[in-house]
Amino acid sequence: MRRRNAKPTLPTASGLGLVVLLCAATANATPAPIPHGTIEIVAQSESIEPGRDFNLALHFQLEKGWHIYWANPGDSGEPPRVDWKMPKGITAEEIEWPTPHRLGSSTIVDYGYEDAVTLIVPMRTESKLAAQQSAQIVGQVKVLVCREMCIPGKAQVSLTLSIKAQTAAPDTKTEGLFAAARKSLPQHAPQNWKLSVHDTESSFVLTGNIGQQSTRAIFFPLNESQIDNAALQDVTPTPAGFRLTLRKSQQLLKPITRLKGVLVLSDDRAYWIDVPVSKPGVAQNNSGMNLQLQHS
Amino acid sequence: MKRSIVFPMMIALILCVTPLLIAASKVGEAAPDFTATASSGKTVKLSDNRGKYVVLEWHNNGCPYVGKQYNSGNMQRLQKTWTARGVAWFTVLSSAPGKQGYATASEENDYMAKMHATPTAALLDPTGEIGHLFDAKTSPQMVVINPQGIVIYDGAIDDKPTTDLNDVPGATNYVSLALEQAMAGKKVETPATRPYGCSVKYAN
Repeated sequence: MRRRNAKPTLPTASGLGLVVLLCAATANATPAPIPHGTIEIVAQSESIEPGRDFNLALHFQLEKGWHIYWANPGDSGEPPRVDWKMPKGITAEEIEWPTPHRLGSSTIVDYGYEDAVTLIVPMRTESKLAAQQSAQIVGQVKVLVCREMCIPGKAQVSLTLSIKAQTAAPDTKTEGLFAAARKSLPQHAPQNWKLSVHDTESSFVLTGNIGQQSTRAIFFPLNESQIDNAALQDVTPTPAGFRLTLRKSQQLLKPITRLKGVLVLSDDRAYWIDVPVSKPGVAQNNSGMNLQLQHS
Repeated sequence: MKRSIVFPMMIALILCVTPLLIAASKVGEAAPDFTATASSGKTVKLSDNRGKYVVLEWHNNGCPYVGKQYNSGNMQRLQKTWTARGVAWFTVLSSAPGKQGYATASEENDYMAKMHATPTAALLDPTGEIGHLFDAKTSPQMVVINPQGIVIYDGAIDDKPTTDLNDVPGATNYVSLALEQAMAGKKVETPATRPYGCSVKYAN
């Protein structure tokens, strides 16, 4: 009798189960919780075409004031890491990191993203990828979320995309998100720019001849322990560009051959640069005047 | 007249020189001296420890990177091992009052008892003076000073910059490595690394 009484509730339960299953199967999975925010995986296209690369993105939505980190987190923290699980024939490339921001105080500076960020992950597919029904892509994400304090979080995000032997249609629901994410990526530095880095005893002096004077320049080093993250970056405008003095990191005990990272000239002008470092004494040094002003 | 010139010059001199004076310790250079109050109530002067190796461990009991070291028992093991070999091990608390990791003397003593932590002393640095003196950026940042008072290591505790307890066993511990090498009369191979962890919760 009790069983019978319970029966009317069953359709509701199975209905709920069906809804859950449907949610898991759609391209736009529901956001997963992380400390003080959510993470969501989205695809740029509705399906996968064997042999054609496609894009996924991880969208982090954080509570106000909370942040996560860039590839080089700066003085503290660590970047989000993803462990991918997916069918053979599909591989994930490195994350495309949007231009970071300087976060922190006068003595400790981190590089990261506050409030929200979308990380695009390019995916490669082999042409022999069988046009099976669908591919489930799972990302196991470890992320450190910080404001005044830091909380490590783990989340699993997944989506299922159908594999079709035809050009994949863009997903109109995620178009805006991907467009905005693309806009937040640093561009390649223009070919006609002349960039040089001079190694002085205490600093690297990055000189840019870029065809126009620049009063603003901020450099984000991709590699850790090259420059003092918290030091003021002193920019000197020149007729054809700028000169930027970057205090060396205390942890840098050996000379470096290249300085690689993101150069930001204005809110919508950020560039990837990779500049060979000239040895001390080789290039002209006219940066001495600025050195005293470097300490923060 | 003279005074009107001398005074601005003095100001200029102070402005120029001050950053140099407060510039943080650097590997290969003498560690800046300090006097601190320990959670035991004792006064600790760094230079009183000449003749011994000294380890400084920046601490914040709410930091997950510190938690990784203490919850795995690794930090306690290091403290026990190295103090037994004559090293003076000072845990330094540079969190400002009201911020994560700040602890009063009795709170810190309770924490150490609970965690079975046995440093030589836990130094209370709520003003951040010692932290700034060594330019400590993170917890758990580690500094090793040799018996002559020279900084021989400054940086991370190990080569696994994560909060994952599972990363402790396979990690290369830079503090032990520096102490082993220095005590054996060898050159410290890795004298400086990026000190990963939580930012030190200074007052400003």
